[in-house]
Amino acid sequence: MNAFELALPDTLAGAVSLLDPEDPTIRVMSGGTALMLMMKTDVFHPTQLISLRRIEPGYSQMGLLPDGSFRIGAMSTLSDMEHDDALAGFAPVIRQTMKLLSNVRVRNVATVGGALAHGDPHMDLPPVLVALDAQVVTISPEGERTIPVAELHAGYYETILSGNELIKEVIIPPQHARRASYLKCTTRAVKDWPALGVALTTDLDGDTARDTRLVIGAVGEKPIRVAEAEAVIDGQILSDKTIAEAADAAAESVETIEDELGSAAYKTQLVRVYVKRALQQVANQNA
Amino acid sequence: MKDVMTQTIDFTLNGKAVSAEIQGHWTLVDLLQQGFDLYGARQSCGQGLCGCCTVVLNGKPVSGCLFLAALADGATIETIENNEETLDPVQEAFIEAGAFQCGFCTPGFVLMTRQLIAEIPEPSEEEIRLYLTGNLCRCGTYPQIIEAVQKAAARMRAA
Ligand SMILES: Cc1cc2nc3c(=O)[nH]c(=O)nc-3n(C[C@H](O)[C@H](O)[C@H](O)COP(=O)(O)OP(=O)(O)OC[C@H]3O[C@@H](n4cnc5c(N)ncnc54)[C@H](O)[C@@H]3O)c2cc1C
Ligand code: FES
Ligand code: FES
Repeated sequence: MNAFELALPDTLAGAVSLLDPEDPTIRVMSGGTALMLMMKTDVFHPTQLISLRRIEPGYSQMGLLPDGSFRIGAMSTLSDMEHDDALAGFAPVIRQTMKLLSNVRVRNVATVGGALAHGDPHMDLPPVLVALDAQVVTISPEGERTIPVAELHAGYYETILSGNELIKEVIIPPQHARRASYLKCTTRAVKDWPALGVALTTDLDGDTARDTRLVIGAVGEKPIRVAEAEAVIDGQILSDKTIAEAADAAAESVETIEDELGSAAYKTQLVRVYVKRALQQVANQNA
Repeated sequence: MKDVMTQTIDFTLNGKAVSAEIQGHWTLVDLLQQGFDLYGARQSCGQGLCGCCTVVLNGKPVSGCLFLAALADGATIETIENNEETLDPVQEAFIEAGAFQCGFCTPGFVLMTRQLIAEIPEPSEEEIRLYLTGNLCRCGTYPQIIEAVQKAAARMRAA
């Protein structure tokens, strides 16, 4: 690692003011799990790191908002999210996802802000938050804005955030009776980085599926929402036939890219198999 | 390493208030080894995967290899050296079960096991495997480790 300066501002706004959109060597560090790896492997050489560890404690907290949505401060750790009972009641899929995400020590340190801003397509939480229709609220010198997580990622390790824009919080809308599932396929160990992730939410009020959101992670440059498969599902009862058709539609429409965890053809087959399993799981969940 | 920036941090180490002069790029492993001659947390993978560098920071286990020492200012750190005089039930169970060969991974496993039992007093084998997937034993003593965890948990429940 090279020499760098470390700043510890005590407000998020203070952190924003230290950033320079022209200078990518000045970066905020939340948990630092991703940045430390990049620094240790000489991929990233910061001149200044701005740690968010001392910012207002409210950014490490989460809870229900009066309008029924759920707010998660950007500095909440993945462990905080895993153990929060209110969040588990609101969206049980998050706790399920955490159990198989990396390991206890990484989850104790990594934050939701970092997990979303990092932009590595091989991550579990982004597709889940897209399926839950979550939004991020950001802060920059221009003020605040709200961005659907579905629009946050622009490409491989790229987000649409500007160089001096930080994620403040994540907001998940009320899920009512929506059902959700996240399935992860790993090719080495259970808690490895995903070779494929399938996140699914749907409304099964009555037996008919509505407003399905199907999102595939780890097969392309960013999480991919599969409108073609959603169209097959919506308005239908989740019968074996519908499920098989949706799985085929997903496999046909999602463009997969080869990586160290599998070839493109292998990933396409994974899409077919795991979309089917996710739909079966949702169909069999107790309402 | 061309880093020459140094700074002083104050923190609590195994129950004692300490301060240390550190370099900006130091991790917690560097801090413990170079600042305090403590070698229980050791770097192996250096990537957060294996748990050999486990330290307990503000009550939670973290990978010392991925955490900047400078950020430990004001923190409470516990290492495997925190009970040098006596063995705790987890350490005793590891010895009785023969849950190590070379011992390189053992400090990490012991610290993680303490946390595991605090969170799940009666862990099933599956829960143990899941909780400890981020700890690797290159000697492959996993069956004995699981036995040790169960033994320690049973003893701590009885106590
Ligand atoms: C051993 C290991 C295994 C892993 N396995 C998995 C896995 O199986 N699945 C998975 O999903 N992930 C996995 N990860 C990745 C992990 O989820 C990320 O490293 C973590 O979520 C990043 O969060 P952080 O707070 O540590 O980010 P940091 O390292 O602090 O930051 C990451 C990036 O986000 C930026 N950033 C941080 N906070 C904000 C903010 N509030 N606003 C704007 N930008 C911000 C930083 O500038 C940086 O560019 C693994 C990591 C490790 C080390
Ligand atoms: S050396 Fe830190 S986890 Fe392996
Ligand atoms: S005892 Fe040798 S690595 Fe575990």
